[in-house]
Amino acid sequence: MECIEDKYGIKRYLIQIVVNGDDRALLVTANTLLVNVLRERLDLTGTKKGCELGNCGSCTVLLDGKPVDSCLVLAVEADGCEITTIEGVAQSEELDRLQNSFVENAAIQCGYCTPGMILSAKALLTRNPAPKEQEVRQAIAGNLCRCTGYVNIVKAVMAAAATTEQEKRGVA
Amino acid sequence: MKDDYAVIGKSVPKIDGRAKATGQARYTGDLKFPNMLVGKILTSPHAHARILHIDTSEAEKLSGVKAIITHKDVPSKKYGISPARWDENIFCIDKVRFVGDKVAAVAAIDEETVYKALKLIKVEYEVLPAVFDPVEALTENAPLIHEEFPGNINAEIHQEFGNVEEAFSRSFHVRTDTYIGQRTYQSPIEPHAAISMWDGGKLTVYASTQSPHYFQYYLAREFELPMGDVRVLKTFVGGGFGGKMEPTGLEFGGAVLARITGRPVKMFYDRAEMFAHNRGRHRQIMELTTGVDREGKILGSYANFIMDGGAYTSLGIASAYYAGALLTLTYDFDNYKFDMIRVYTNLPACGAQRGHGAPQPKYAYECHLDNIARDLRLDPAEIRLINARKPNTVTPNSFRINSCELSACIDKAKKISGWNEKRGKLPGGKGIGIAVGSFVSGAGYPIYRTDLPHAAAIIKVHEDGSAATLYTGATDIGQGSDTVLCQMAAEAMGIKYEQMKIVSADTETTPHDFGAYASRQTLMSGSAVKEAGEMVKEQVLEMAGKMLEVSPSELDCKEAVVFLKSDPGISIPFSNVARKLFVDKGPLVGRGAYTPPKLGGSFKGAAVGTSPAYSFATQISEVEVDKETGEIRVKEVWDVHDCGKVINPALLHAQVHGALFMGMGEAIWEEVRFDKNGKIINPNLSDYRLPTALDMPRVTSELVESYDIAGPWGVKEVGEGATIPTMGCFANAILDAAGVSVNSLPLSYEKVWQALREKEAGEKQTRKPIEHEGYPGEPAAYEME
Amino acid sequence: MYIPDFDYHAPSSIEEACAILASYGSDAKVLAGGTDVLSRMKNELIAPKALVSIKNIPDMASITYVPGKGVVIGARVTHNDLVNSELLQQKYPSIPEAAHTMANNQIRNRGTIGGNLVNALPSADLPPILIALDASITLLGRHGKGIVPLEDFFIGPNRAAIEPDRILTEITIPDQPTTGSAYFKFGLRQSGAIAVVGVGVSVVASGAHVEQVRIVLGAVGPVPIRAKKAEQLLIGNLATEAALEEVGRAAAAECRPISDIRASQEYRRDMVRVFTKRALRKALHMQPAGEPVKIEGGNGDGMH
Repeated sequence: MECIEDKYGIKRYLIQIVVNGDDRALLVTANTLLVNVLRERLDLTGTKKGCELGNCGSCTVLLDGKPVDSCLVLAVEADGCEITTIEGVAQSEELDRLQNSFVENAAIQCGYCTPGMILSAKALLTRNPAPKEQEVRQAIAGNLCRCTGYVNIVKAVMAAAATTEQEKRGVA
Repeated sequence: MKDDYAVIGKSVPKIDGRAKATGQARYTGDLKFPNMLVGKILTSPHAHARILHIDTSEAEKLSGVKAIITHKDVPSKKYGISPARWDENIFCIDKVRFVGDKVAAVAAIDEETVYKALKLIKVEYEVLPAVFDPVEALTENAPLIHEEFPGNINAEIHQEFGNVEEAFSRSFHVRTDTYIGQRTYQSPIEPHAAISMWDGGKLTVYASTQSPHYFQYYLAREFELPMGDVRVLKTFVGGGFGGKMEPTGLEFGGAVLARITGRPVKMFYDRAEMFAHNRGRHRQIMELTTGVDREGKILGSYANFIMDGGAYTSLGIASAYYAGALLTLTYDFDNYKFDMIRVYTNLPACGAQRGHGAPQPKYAYECHLDNIARDLRLDPAEIRLINARKPNTVTPNSFRINSCELSACIDKAKKISGWNEKRGKLPGGKGIGIAVGSFVSGAGYPIYRTDLPHAAAIIKVHEDGSAATLYTGATDIGQGSDTVLCQMAAEAMGIKYEQMKIVSADTETTPHDFGAYASRQTLMSGSAVKEAGEMVKEQVLEMAGKMLEVSPSELDCKEAVVFLKSDPGISIPFSNVARKLFVDKGPLVGRGAYTPPKLGGSFKGAAVGTSPAYSFATQISEVEVDKETGEIRVKEVWDVHDCGKVINPALLHAQVHGALFMGMGEAIWEEVRFDKNGKIINPNLSDYRLPTALDMPRVTSELVESYDIAGPWGVKEVGEGATIPTMGCFANAILDAAGVSVNSLPLSYEKVWQALREKEAGEKQTRKPIEHEGYPGEPAAYEME
Repeated sequence: MYIPDFDYHAPSSIEEACAILASYGSDAKVLAGGTDVLSRMKNELIAPKALVSIKNIPDMASITYVPGKGVVIGARVTHNDLVNSELLQQKYPSIPEAAHTMANNQIRNRGTIGGNLVNALPSADLPPILIALDASITLLGRHGKGIVPLEDFFIGPNRAAIEPDRILTEITIPDQPTTGSAYFKFGLRQSGAIAVVGVGVSVVASGAHVEQVRIVLGAVGPVPIRAKKAEQLLIGNLATEAALEEVGRAAAAECRPISDIRASQEYRRDMVRVFTKRALRKALHMQPAGEPVKIEGGNGDGMH
């Protein structure tokens, strides 16, 4: 990774990341956090800051497919990685099945936890397309919600999994 | 009561659901404006100290810092959300009163520079003795926190209705219990943020707010601007729960920084600062005495409470009144006495948190009543049925109750939970408990004295009639008011929900509304919206009558089709009529406003607790207690609500889930804790424990049929009603499960364990409060080998 | 919140990393997953001049069985790697179980076993079970390699016996005759909880007859505590309920808890007694006695 020093002696590093399928190259200081690169530099404000200490999950992104708290990832550590934010979940104008399920099942109230929730759930369904309810709760246990009590969120994830299952079996 | 509605009563998807699911929804902290600066507030590290000197010179030299302000640079007019108590300054002038009190603010080109600048501001303090307990603060030698409030008494309430002493003297059984609530904090997931900018003499503030109006009103007052020159608006708000009702240093300080720099300034709190700012739930010490007759009928109750108000009033006066006022709602008795003192302490100010002062008293009362039931060998559900309020009655403190289906709620809750099969029959460690609650559907009187209507709405139909835009000041903070009000507008006009657009919560473009608090919007904002919609419909039917050559009274409109009631085949699309109206007469607009009727008695404080309508609820919970550890597992909760007509069932049940979840968190896990210097030791989401998805029980939310004449289509509230029974419900279930009473919140595992040990030992030990040492993960001292 | 700027290095070999660390004296820290280091920096508990990332150093992120040695876990193995490791699930399932109780999914995807051990939180969940399984760690520095029993690695809260210019590279669980092991974490909610008490045990037993046992207590002292006196009461004896109760009491007497924001000293002590018994029952494959039936990882298996 290349490093440039400015006239004040501040070092900046060239990171190359893939964000939602797009190649991005940015110069960042070592103390720049991934969450701030996404929100401030790339204007992807779907990723939120709720606690900045990895307790609430509202900054969740997928880093090489795995849900992580982007508030605790240095941008330089993400060099060479693939990042998916909430903006990258829907592939087109049409919503992803999981997003639709959240809307249809009243799983969204204030919406602040929603991006992180959806990404955690998406990662779960990708590796485990037919989860048990307990597994869904495990997957989103690191995403705090103050509005819904998680009831409809769990329902929405299970429903999305069920329709995928039905389609696979040619039923839906 | 018509039941064949086209739009209301349906679980339509939220109007902003897609934006939130895709990340497109921008909250205040997400917004960017050209040339914008970032700002933050410097707060006090001391709980009580005189400010001797503030030196900003080092900070000013830092490259990228554009402005630094202290009390010298801002109006010194005292403010507060409670008009009865203006006791706050934008920045402390002579002294700071809690750890986190506002001292200065910085605006700079980026966050990092702001943080660095804050560290460079040097403040010299003379530390004063501080007091952290309300009982202690009332004693003679306690440090005085506000000169204007001797004895640290922020508010004192003495109310009596009927004669409790007399009632007690003829009671079969009189019992006194004392309970202690705890400080909790709303902790919305979205941090507070505000962006201020000026355009000549006009101030615009984007805020994470529950009430643009109150923000506008108090900003205008503080800066002596006409209200028309202050625009407050919100984009999306990530939860408020009462904590975002009042303008904070972010709005006041941000406005000044924006003025000085001539640039937009974005101010925000991080999570720890949110905890310090607080304005959450008061800790209350609650003594209850109740007398009942032989059958268990309550003859009178006396509530004697003390509230820890923290360093400022915030919404605390209302909370103090609500604490006592709402105890008369669920049970019908004639004699009631309420004494309350709200005390200043050198802790963060407490305000209004979901339920607004009522949840802890209700926890206390429901436990108290269960004790009485046990004393009389009555089933807890039975004693509640004996005392349950009936419709069309008046409480001793002059609240008129129209609809009330509390008994039906109790019956249904018993049935769906299997109460009779379970109560007293569950195996060791398992228990079931019940509690009831009630809440206002909007406050009868606004926060400051005014004759303004409480809500107003405008509907503009699109020129081609294909859509309509609802303009309302009602504030959607996640509860779904935008959606529900659009449903109401569509229903009232006779068009489809899908045709609705909405502009809300912008003081410049939307008509006045007091905002989202006291669960007022469905009833109050909804009334205004209904009126506006009906006005549109009236104009449409009149024009359609001309077009179809019939009398308008023979027409109706549903799903965007105007039709002849006697022969629906004869019809004309709404859009055709609307378009013609616009062509002939100009904009097709409907207007509505709502003012509640004059409510309540004429005694001091009579206004607080008045409401056009009250919701009622019953909760039953089944818990399991691990008798060795005291760990509480809530297995299942049933909530049955009487909330009038339901506009959107899915959103309604979602509100019950959420309110119950908050009640649960406060019942078992949440508490704001302080060290011996008044500093919060758990200002984070690790040691301030919100329940996670793995902590939630099975939840069943059901309703009983109900209709209230005061609300449009018979609606009442639901947003806060489900928080109120919860703590009492769990405490009663735990008592059933483990045979022990925990008389203070939270009902932590350790307290249950402690109570179980005491029970085993057969003695009641008085326990010293737990010493708080060190920072989590950083133990202060260990014995080293 | 913000982190003050620092020098960042991402060397591609251990030798390079150690040389860089040495050049900063004690002012540099190793960066693995970052979940501990970065949050401590945000809370202004530490302010290192440099962070030396080990993300590019090969051969630090796998879990392998080395015959004659045992199971070797690279320092960069994440907690979820531990959870998902088939090898560990087969050989020492108590380790994935312990890892699964930590923090939450997002943290577990970044946090590493090496980082966790070096951070040396008294309440950490991995040390009790790893010590019960006789783990040792390998430290590499410029002056060569050192192998330290994990039991001896912790000095105090947030202090581990590792010089500033050395790196913990792997953890070894030696081949051993264990017939069962268990880790019980007692936290105040079902996820994102710091242990109030943690108990790791490993036994060699035939039926209820215990030949060898190791009992390690977490979160009840400045470092994990081997409850040796408690162990002695069980070795060579039958694990009856009465015996387990005695062992539990002995372990409770050996721990040195403090009262803090999460729990009081007395509570912790009693929980050591309770969870020592529960962990032993599990390691001995006995039925839980009088405990509420634990639904895996949480409660609530239905919804409206």
